[in-house]
Amino acid sequence: MIGEFVTLVVGFITSILSMPLVMKFMKKKGIVGIDMHKKNKPAIPEMGGVAVIIGIAASVVVASILTSEKIRLLLSFLASTLIAGIVGAADDLKPLSARIKPFLTLFSGMPILMLCTYDPRGPIFPIIGRTRLTIVYPLLIIVALAVTSNAVNMLDPFNGTMSGSCTVITITLLISSLILGRNDGVLLSLCMLGPLLVLYLFNRYPAKVFSGDVGSLSIGAALGAISILGHLEMVAIIAFAPQIMNAFYGLSTIGRLYERREAARPVVLLNDGRLMATSDPKAPLTLARVILAHGPLYEYEVARIIVILSIISGILAIFTAYLIKVTV
Amino acid sequence: MIKRILDFVLILLFVWACMILGLWLINEIVVPLEIPWIKNHIVIAIIKLVMSSGLALLWLWLWREIIKRMFWHTLKAHKTLGKAEKQEER
Repeated sequence: MIGEFVTLVVGFITSILSMPLVMKFMKKKGIVGIDMHKKNKPAIPEMGGVAVIIGIAASVVVASILTSEKIRLLLSFLASTLIAGIVGAADDLKPLSARIKPFLTLFSGMPILMLCTYDPRGPIFPIIGRTRLTIVYPLLIIVALAVTSNAVNMLDPFNGTMSGSCTVITITLLISSLILGRNDGVLLSLCMLGPLLVLYLFNRYPAKVFSGDVGSLSIGAALGAISILGHLEMVAIIAFAPQIMNAFYGLSTIGRLYERREAARPVVLLNDGRLMATSDPKAPLTLARVILAHGPLYEYEVARIIVILSIISGILAIFTAYLIKVTV
Repeated sequence: MIKRILDFVLILLFVWACMILGLWLINEIVVPLEIPWIKNHIVIAIIKLVMSSGLALLWLWLWREIIKRMFWHTLKAHKTLGKAEKQEER
């Protein structure tokens, strides 16, 4: 257990030391994004997710030194994260089309298949127990990582929503791994938790850095990889409910894959600094828009509601983990 | 704020309960299904797959309809909407 704790601390320290350097570098190179939901429209350094990847890489290296028998598992986790991170970095530097980006993220599941670090017997469902999805399961792994990475990327509209909700998901996966006795899930969740906490500290309202697609896609893929490698598929589906809801509502209203920049804005900024849902029928029905249907709110209030929803779905996911334990 | 959260919690619970119920239906009814007048195993497997997919699609459709209706109903009920839209920044 001390080894796992060391990976958490290493990930946190590496990320907290590298984040200011990444921010300084991005600002110097002019890689900044405009914070659209602030009245003064400040320029914020982009690609803060690079510091998260550095933190994850450092904790994985330490974990592989401390638990050398898990080197294949850790390698597949890191490779999946890096592939999604590279796709995200490419998108941050030169925007990719709405179809190319999800297609490229399909490759992030390949290391898990190539290194055979998944359980070939398939997922375990609550009430049902173990399934026999031996043929379909490898295909589902590829799709799962693309879904998680893009769903996380789509729920990154406000300061601290992505980093906050993903921190909650990681803690949920950690607790579920402890309930189900999945040591791999515990180790990987702890590798992830430190860097995510650092991102949340810097990305929460008012944001000092944006994670960029490099951050959101890699974090989404890493969480997807933890679900597969830790054998926590059903728990992850429930924990990802706010992300799945957001992506599903958006896609079902637009009717195809879309980029935020090419769709009508679902939320507008009022003169008093609050955000309001538009009544434009062509705008995607995002989670933020549904939350704002009751009336305008400040950005930090919407972000807080999204994180609270993540906590509630996390509690439901932990209950699902308990149901799985009872079933098996 | 509690009303906004409560709406989603109810949807979340509904979706979760439907998922568990759907899994139970697939496990208890669809998977052990035997059709005496069809002898071909592949045809039976395809029928089971279609039934399971149908249940999954029904689940997704219900989920979407609830949210769509809830959103437009809430938006229309919000009387200050027209007033606030005039403040919108161009």
